Amino acid sequence: MELIKTERDVEHSLMNLLEKYSIPATGPFQLFGSFKPDVLDLQPGCHFLNANKEKTQIPLLPWRMKRKFTELKKIVTDAVIEEPCLFRISSRGSRDNWTLSSLLYREMDLCEFIGNGKIVSIQANINDTEIANLIVKLDNEILCSIEVSTQLPGNAILQDRHEVIGRRGVASDMVVDTQIVQNSVYTFTEKGELSYTDTDMELFGFNDRQIDHVRAAFSVLKDSALITEWQQQHKHLAKLLKIVFESDKNREKINLKNVSIYTHETN
Amino acid sequence: MKPIKIAILSLTHGHSRKYFQTLKENPNFEWVAVSAETEKIKNVFLKGNYGIPCYTNEQEMFDKHPEIEAVVMASANNKHLDQFKTCTQRHINILCMKVPTFDMDEYAQMIEMVEESGIVCQIELELHYNPVMARIKQLVSSNELGKISSINATNITLSPVWAFPWQNDAEASYGKQVQLRPGDNRFRGGALADHPHVFDMIRCLTNSEFEYLYAEAGQNIRKDIQVEDNLLVSGKMKNGIRFLFDPSWSRLEERLEIPGPGWEIYPKRMEVNVSISGEKGVLLADCFGPNVYHNGAPNDRYTVQYTYFDEWIGMMDEFVDCIRNRKIPKINLKWHRETVEAMNACYESIASESVVYL
Repeated sequence: MELIKTERDVEHSLMNLLEKYSIPATGPFQLFGSFKPDVLDLQPGCHFLNANKEKTQIPLLPWRMKRKFTELKKIVTDAVIEEPCLFRISSRGSRDNWTLSSLLYREMDLCEFIGNGKIVSIQANINDTEIANLIVKLDNEILCSIEVSTQLPGNAILQDRHEVIGRRGVASDMVVDTQIVQNSVYTFTEKGELSYTDTDMELFGFNDRQIDHVRAAFSVLKDSALITEWQQQHKHLAKLLKIVFESDKNREKINLKNVSIYTHETN
Repeated sequence: MKPIKIAILSLTHGHSRKYFQTLKENPNFEWVAVSAETEKIKNVFLKGNYGIPCYTNEQEMFDKHPEIEAVVMASANNKHLDQFKTCTQRHINILCMKVPTFDMDEYAQMIEMVEESGIVCQIELELHYNPVMARIKQLVSSNELGKISSINATNITLSPVWAFPWQNDAEASYGKQVQLRPGDNRFRGGALADHPHVFDMIRCLTNSEFEYLYAEAGQNIRKDIQVEDNLLVSGKMKNGIRFLFDPSWSRLEERLEIPGPGWEIYPKRMEVNVSISGEKGVLLADCFGPNVYHNGAPNDRYTVQYTYFDEWIGMMDEFVDCIRNRKIPKINLKWHRETVEAMNACYESIASESVVYL
């Protein structure tokens, strides 16, 4: 019914946003593809995990653009729920869209972003390359579980849940009494059951990941201070990932206070 | 593009604050002034530290700011006609709240004034710029559901009357005191007057007009307000599509004078859900969901924290485009007249307890 948006369409949509909001692009950029000298490479940070990152490669944290996460963060920051103690994260993706490392990268970033802290200890339990269960602690004493799996069938929608439990109140992106991510529109026709969630009118027609990618790239082009912040966070997350696998390998909880230079920074 | 110099009038409409962020962020606007209906409203506005001059005398604002090119008419319905006169005389473009007037003679005057003046007049029906609604339109227009048989929808909210008392004042809301039905101590101008969206949406989705409507008001959930707070509407479009609407204030609220956290008693303060049945299948949609949820401050009640409400971006983009490129807005006065007539027919149906043909 709908034309699939190409990588070129995605890059065009970013240019349109820049033009609309009068944001000057400082030079050529790309949202996809391999490294090219003198081209600003704006891709999700997890794409740069296995490469020697170049100066022009800007790691994006696109999930931070989702309104559900900015609102959850706001609920925690504004003390709508008070004195958070426990943070429960569950994230199950399909292996054609996610690797264990990329999903762990996302969820550990969201853990710190929403929880307003830095991970200071990790105990990881990993089965092959598709399942990871983590118990981590933030430097603000919030204890967190992070369950990650990449065993959903191809093209399945990411099934994630983020729940913060405080001494006063609980906040969650999952409505009470549900187990799966809800959508805005469902159709039940001869084609079976289809669902749609559209949240961004300026980027209507693009899929969820494309929208987050464009919004994240737009944010760093609009505010260059974000580049430094996200580069530091990328280095931090890459280090956390190594520690996750080390924890699993050695069957031990690893305290990061002695190994991470970012331990006492806040998001 | 040269930014449009814009002002907000009155600040008595519940949607006023939706514009504050949009006018600050959209580079195509330069927000130059506001007028407030009372000193109290002015003081509330000034506490927001927007750095925008606020006047309690509308004429003084226009005199001091002859550069104003457009206004958001965020006022009670009975203020609109006078504000239309002022704006059309000064050739100021208008973005008018949901119901310009329920009086169809006044409505005709407004059309005439706008046409003579040559200004742009857009009606604020922000649901058109909601991405879920855009998806629904796309699915319907691409025939995914086949021939449509029925469209049912809710447009249910809490009642805004404690924060915006004009919505409990029949003259301010409906334009005059008209008894809801014989023997009833309530007047027209409540929940129905607040909820034109579904009446507009069905016309747009079906490309058809109303053949007839039937409406019935229930006993009020809030015993101490003078206008209707719940009703149900059913009917048929000229192309045969049936519909059932619930445009009620059926979500209870804390009686706050200034809307803010803790306003809602029921977790979700505003809902527009749509179900469409067609020969090929069914569509179910929630135009304002999913969201995030909490049971924290201030009242420890389970509460929906919305992740939507970006409709104003698209709506204001269209307003800019129409002003600068001399286009007619999608929701203009003439288009919207049929919607207001349908709402009036609902009031007639409530009074007569019978079907009303249009």
